[in-house]
Amino acid sequence: MATLKLKNLSKRYGKTVWGAKDINLEVNDKEFIVLLGPSGCGKTTTMRMIAGLEEVTQGIIYIDEKDVTFLPPRKRDISMVFQSYAVWPHLTVSDNIAFPLRLKNLKSAEIEKRVKEVSSLTKIEEYLERFPRQLSGGQRQRVALARALVVQPKVFLMDEPLSNLDAKLRVKMRTEMKAIHKKTQATTVFVTHDQAEAMSMADRIVIMKDGSIVQEGSTDDVYFDCEDMFVAGFIGTPPTNFLSMELGEKNGKLLLVNSAFSFEPIGENYEILKNYSGKQVIMGVRPESMQVFKEKKPESVFSREVLVTEPQGSHQIVAIELDDQIVKIVAPPFPKVNPGEIVHIGFEHDRIMFFNPETEKRIRKA
Amino acid sequence: MTLNQSVTLEPHKSGFPWKKVIPYILIAPTVIYYIIFWIRPVLTSIIQSFTPEIGTGFTVENYSRIFNDPVFWQAVVNTGIFVIISVTLEFVVAFGLALIINKKFKGSSLLLAIALIPMALPPVAVGAMWSSGFATYGWLNSLLMSMGLIGEGEKILFLAGSDFQSLMLIIIIDAWQVIPFMMTILLAGLQGIPKESIEAGYVFGGTRFKVLRKITMPMLKPSIQTALILRIISAIQVWLIIVLIFGFRRIPVLLEEVVFFQEQVQNEYKLALAYSVIVALVVSVVAVFYLKVSGAFKGDEEQ
Ligand SMILES: Nc1ncnc2c1ncn2[C@@H]1O[C@H](COP(=O)(O)OP(=O)(O)O)[C@@H](O)[C@H]1O
Ligand SMILES: [Mg+2]
Repeated sequence: MATLKLKNLSKRYGKTVWGAKDINLEVNDKEFIVLLGPSGCGKTTTMRMIAGLEEVTQGIIYIDEKDVTFLPPRKRDISMVFQSYAVWPHLTVSDNIAFPLRLKNLKSAEIEKRVKEVSSLTKIEEYLERFPRQLSGGQRQRVALARALVVQPKVFLMDEPLSNLDAKLRVKMRTEMKAIHKKTQATTVFVTHDQAEAMSMADRIVIMKDGSIVQEGSTDDVYFDCEDMFVAGFIGTPPTNFLSMELGEKNGKLLLVNSAFSFEPIGENYEILKNYSGKQVIMGVRPESMQVFKEKKPESVFSREVLVTEPQGSHQIVAIELDDQIVKIVAPPFPKVNPGEIVHIGFEHDRIMFFNPETEKRIRKA
Repeated sequence: MTLNQSVTLEPHKSGFPWKKVIPYILIAPTVIYYIIFWIRPVLTSIIQSFTPEIGTGFTVENYSRIFNDPVFWQAVVNTGIFVIISVTLEFVVAFGLALIINKKFKGSSLLLAIALIPMALPPVAVGAMWSSGFATYGWLNSLLMSMGLIGEGEKILFLAGSDFQSLMLIIIIDAWQVIPFMMTILLAGLQGIPKESIEAGYVFGGTRFKVLRKITMPMLKPSIQTALILRIISAIQVWLIIVLIFGFRRIPVLLEEVVFFQEQVQNEYKLALAYSVIVALVVSVVAVFYLKVSGAFKGDEEQ
């Protein structure tokens, strides 16, 4: 097994379009890393450069400390699951899986043994003699997975392998792929635009935007400790609420003010904001870090009429309007909140994130 | 209510089965057209080819004359050589060109446009162009001389070579015109292959050559089959270019003999018919044989 290191990796298409820009990343042995970002942010470009399918404009790729930047794909000891699966239509399932092994001139007994192993791991033993067009999308996806696993590569690349499956199968495959990774322990780079997929599968999530990495870290890091407004707005459903606030001062105390309410930043938040007196900040607060009360409480900061509610079974989403902006709050399923009702709203103060409105970057303790 | 609905959803058990009949009605005009303009004349030709030139009655005279004519056997051999060499040569060059143009480098579309020019020229123009080129004082010799490749006294007598050389000359001219056509079919096929299928070949250990052999070519098989079958059929039917450059009966080939007996000599109409029946038979047999060997009939079972 192996490590992967990207150093200042960049790709320019034509003269001006940067598909990926200055990517620096280290993937540890056995790690399952997920590249996450909206469509067009450069995930595929990055992955294709690692695979050797795309020429590198700048930067270096190391696999196991060895510079592979200019090696052809077959000399990199990688394998890949393509988004379209790219199983070969003219070969049976077993020939598809055996193809990479035959090219390595392995003995046929060895090939047979490995095809058998990997097809039982991916649960496609029954289909080995079929042609791809006789399989469903989910089965084809498993074939692609089996073919990629059979070569036992140093680095395992997957480009949105689940995005063509229906929602239910996708969730099921997540679990299966995670289980497979547990068994094979292959160093993996997994690409997706689906945050739920990323969060449930990753050892570490790398969030990309416009060709660059904006944040990397564990699921909890990227969820609770966002580097900037993009990450806070991208991760989480419903996403983080952003409220424009001004920092005023009253009786020598800091006060966060907007048109509807004001409150005093306490504890850690005071430390973070103490140099921002008189300035605008953006307050980011996750829907589940806000509280809805039916009666006024000491913790509640302001009151509002409920616009709509979205019951979800395990919880309910309460939407209110604030400064012409919809703010969503995740509340426990009971007591039921009804549209039109006046509710009292509070914050979990230690979960609030503050951002600089100009740079959109997180404001941290000086 | 629900009961009623489920009843109406049942297919009509009685009444006229329109669903089954409509396809036949739709295809009827084509079938009728085929019977009148294709099957009927073909059958008439076959029957006529077994009648004497003057008078009526059954005879195999036309066929026995053909089979006893040494020119016929020469035509068979020439046609055979022509088909084998020209189809092979054209396929290899056309496939190579298609692979190159498919790479989409700078200027590949210009190259494609240039490569397609010969296809746009009618055979008569091609014949005129090359026969004037190959004349002893033609443009080809002039060109070679002006480039200093040959001297004044070393003019090449292109048209005066042996029969085999002359046939080669025809093959080259024909290839020049046909390659773009084959290349177009192969290029269309190549563009239909998903990029990721080829890339998967490289990722999973393939060299350029291995990927070409094991992935590109098998996936291109339908296009290769189309290109080859169309080309084999038209190669068996070569004649015009030969006549334009060498005239009749210098390099006899099958179809040229048909035209010869029909147009160039009087009162050999039935013989020409018998000849065309033979050509048609050869084409059909070769085509069916090729399709069988190449597996085009297997269809659903495997591909
Ligand atoms: N072959 C290409 N030519 C030009 N631009 C490209 C090409 N491939 C990708 N791009 C551009 O590079 C950017 C990143 O694309 P991609 O890596 O495919 O994004 P993602 O996989 O994250 O959706 C996009 O803006 C895209 O338009
Ligand atoms: Mg992509």
